Amino acid sequence: MAWGKFRSRLILLAMAMLVSCGFGHAQTGLSLDGRVVNPFAASSGKIVVLVFVRRDCPVSGRYAPAIQQISKRYGDSASFWLVYPDKSETAQAIRKSVAEYGYQIPVLRDPQRELVRLAHVQITPEVAVFDRNRHLIYDGRIDDRYIDLSRARPAPTTHELEDAIQAAMTGGSVARNEVRGVGCYISDLD
Amino acid sequence: MLHFGSGLNSPALAMWVLVLLASACVIAPLFAAPAPQQSQTGGLGAQITFNHDIAPIMFQTCATCHRLGEAAPFSLLTYSDVKKHAHQIVDATKSRAMPPWLPEPQELKFADEMRLSDTEINLIERWVEQGEVEGNPADLPPQPKFVEGWRLGKPDMILTAKKPLVLSPQGTDTYWNFIFPVPIQQTRWVKAVEIRPGDKRYVHHANILVDRTGASRKRESEPGAGFGGMEIRIESQVFDPDSHLLFWKPGTIPYVEPDGMALRLDKGTDLILNTHLQPSGKPEVIQPSIGLYFTPQAATKLPMLLQLENDLRLDIPPGDKNFLVTDEFTLPVDVDLMAIYPHAHYLGKDMQAFAALPDGTKKTLIHIPQWNLNWQAVYRYAEPVRLAKGTTVSLRYTYDNSDQNPLNPNHPPARVVGGNRSSDEMCHLWLQVLPVNFDPAQGDPRMVLQEALSRHNVEKNPADFEAHYNLAAMLQAKNNLDGAVEEFAAAVRLRPQDATGNNALGAALVAVGHPDQGAGYLQTALKSRPDYFDAHYNLGFALAGQDDFEGAAEQFRLALQLQPKDAAVEANLGVALAELGRYPEAKTHFEHALQMDPRQPVAKENLEALRKEMGKH
Repeated sequence: MAWGKFRSRLILLAMAMLVSCGFGHAQTGLSLDGRVVNPFAASSGKIVVLVFVRRDCPVSGRYAPAIQQISKRYGDSASFWLVYPDKSETAQAIRKSVAEYGYQIPVLRDPQRELVRLAHVQITPEVAVFDRNRHLIYDGRIDDRYIDLSRARPAPTTHELEDAIQAAMTGGSVARNEVRGVGCYISDLD
Repeated sequence: MLHFGSGLNSPALAMWVLVLLASACVIAPLFAAPAPQQSQTGGLGAQITFNHDIAPIMFQTCATCHRLGEAAPFSLLTYSDVKKHAHQIVDATKSRAMPPWLPEPQELKFADEMRLSDTEINLIERWVEQGEVEGNPADLPPQPKFVEGWRLGKPDMILTAKKPLVLSPQGTDTYWNFIFPVPIQQTRWVKAVEIRPGDKRYVHHANILVDRTGASRKRESEPGAGFGGMEIRIESQVFDPDSHLLFWKPGTIPYVEPDGMALRLDKGTDLILNTHLQPSGKPEVIQPSIGLYFTPQAATKLPMLLQLENDLRLDIPPGDKNFLVTDEFTLPVDVDLMAIYPHAHYLGKDMQAFAALPDGTKKTLIHIPQWNLNWQAVYRYAEPVRLAKGTTVSLRYTYDNSDQNPLNPNHPPARVVGGNRSSDEMCHLWLQVLPVNFDPAQGDPRMVLQEALSRHNVEKNPADFEAHYNLAAMLQAKNNLDGAVEEFAAAVRLRPQDATGNNALGAALVAVGHPDQGAGYLQTALKSRPDYFDAHYNLGFALAGQDDFEGAAEQFRLALQLQPKDAAVEANLGVALAELGRYPEAKTHFEHALQMDPRQPVAKENLEALRKEMGKH
């Protein structure tokens, strides 16, 4: 019967999504005091936004004010985490940098790249948005401010991160056109 | 006989000088790195290693800025440094975003060209594709040696900005001007200027402007505060054209002027450091300093900066992807072209300059196929370029005001015209030229150049106020007073209420013996700008010229309220009072003038005359 066949496909699809959104993988990082933290478990049912940055990446730095503004704007619905994937970075150096930029969001180190793999990100700065069901609904750039390493717009004209958060809030879909960020490659790190 | 002082305060030579300029950028590490040897490893399929192939490129070209304390955000001095950014380096070099060098290769070579060859770029990409192999330690060239601190040794004088600027963490680019008064008591000659712009990571470029007028100080909210703005204008009262390009960009090593081409600094001169800053994401404190290196050798060769421009043609419709602006100028004297500095804002696209020589050959002076304001620079020629009299130099710039230009300040695009704000556009080309093969008996060749350029500008844009004004000032400097009156009048017709124009026209009319006509323009100038010292002073002369000494005395008093320490005004006030028979008062003012300046000639001569006159009675 056609009906039964349809149902079984749906179930398969859902399973595939479960795998792709990472429950099959480890999903933890390290807090700056060395504790293992699962940002999904610690986000009490909110949308989860992972923001990947590098301390030696100037584009990451220039995005700090935008990241903070967006995290404040959506703080009621979404839990933001700043993730440093460079295993050679010390907690102390990261703490200092976070204070200089005035970040108010929790920080994780990701020396094993578990969160990087989960989020599918490649560049800093890039973000990953997981909806309340922990489905990865967006990964990529924050907005289109940077065109390349030497050219930035006076202001962004697209707002991919905010669009994704809003989609996660309303259950809408995100146009996944896979625009990578401009900045520094995570794969270049040891 | 009583004499009024001769000096009419007209901006006799008020050249409107657009400030942008500064000096040289020499970019090279202080050692000769071996060129990459590709004979062994460069072939397709051969193993490319960091130590053998990549380190020499990094050391020679990248590490000038990519090291601690310099402009770049990370170091590129070790294998691990480079590996951490390997794919980024491939992106940056393939797109030629790095190293930042805008001009295309051309026949006329620039000094210190900072450009990777296609072979070098390809080598880096293949090294990354092959897995970023480190290679044999024996192949690694020695670490480059750089001079720390002041590059030319301790400067003879170090000036530090009085008040630092706190750069906002976010937003668009910031343009800020720091003023450095130069504490010298007599004229000094400067052979080199080193600009230390503060934290180099956030200063994109910086120019020094020489302000001999004190005008820029008036733009500060308090002394030392500095002032905002991308472009500055300085009016000068004498023919003293800008001569040096004092420029800093990341990687700059200070330029030592050739023998005989030192920069003159007089007592009271201010250096204005015009900086272009980019926010970093956190607040940054920027406090630049300037190092001056003096020489006892006065300048014997006098270069000048020729400006081709066509800002009045800039009226770019929204959406226009290819708006063309040109200018061309034929040289009236032989010159050596030393350096070139093209300038536009965010819509500039393809920028070219040419020289068509009298023998029919045409040379490209510069070609920037993709302008980027962030990496603007002064380009010095490896050898001076001789341009004979009759050579036509030209500029040809295109502008992209469409949405496809990501740097467009307007989204959606809007009409953009010429102007000083960063959201306005500009079309400028500065050429540093040294006149050669001239007969000194024929006068200053720079004046010949400036007059020809001024005439060209008037013909190019008859509605250009500044063009008429500058031509008039030039004619006045040559003592062609009737010509000056005519051109000042043309300027005033274009801007009837302009204070500077009316003052200059009024003063010129007084100078040719029409104080009655002059007074009217001077009064218009004062209506537009009541606290205009020059206009009060000149109106004093105009009224004295009509025997209205009461009126003259009043104007000199008003001028003194604005500049209480001006000995010439004191002296001329004394003359007006003496004409009114108020000898004791006059005597007091002559004495005041001489207290301020013991050599004040008007006060000296008239005090003597006055004593004789008073002795008779």
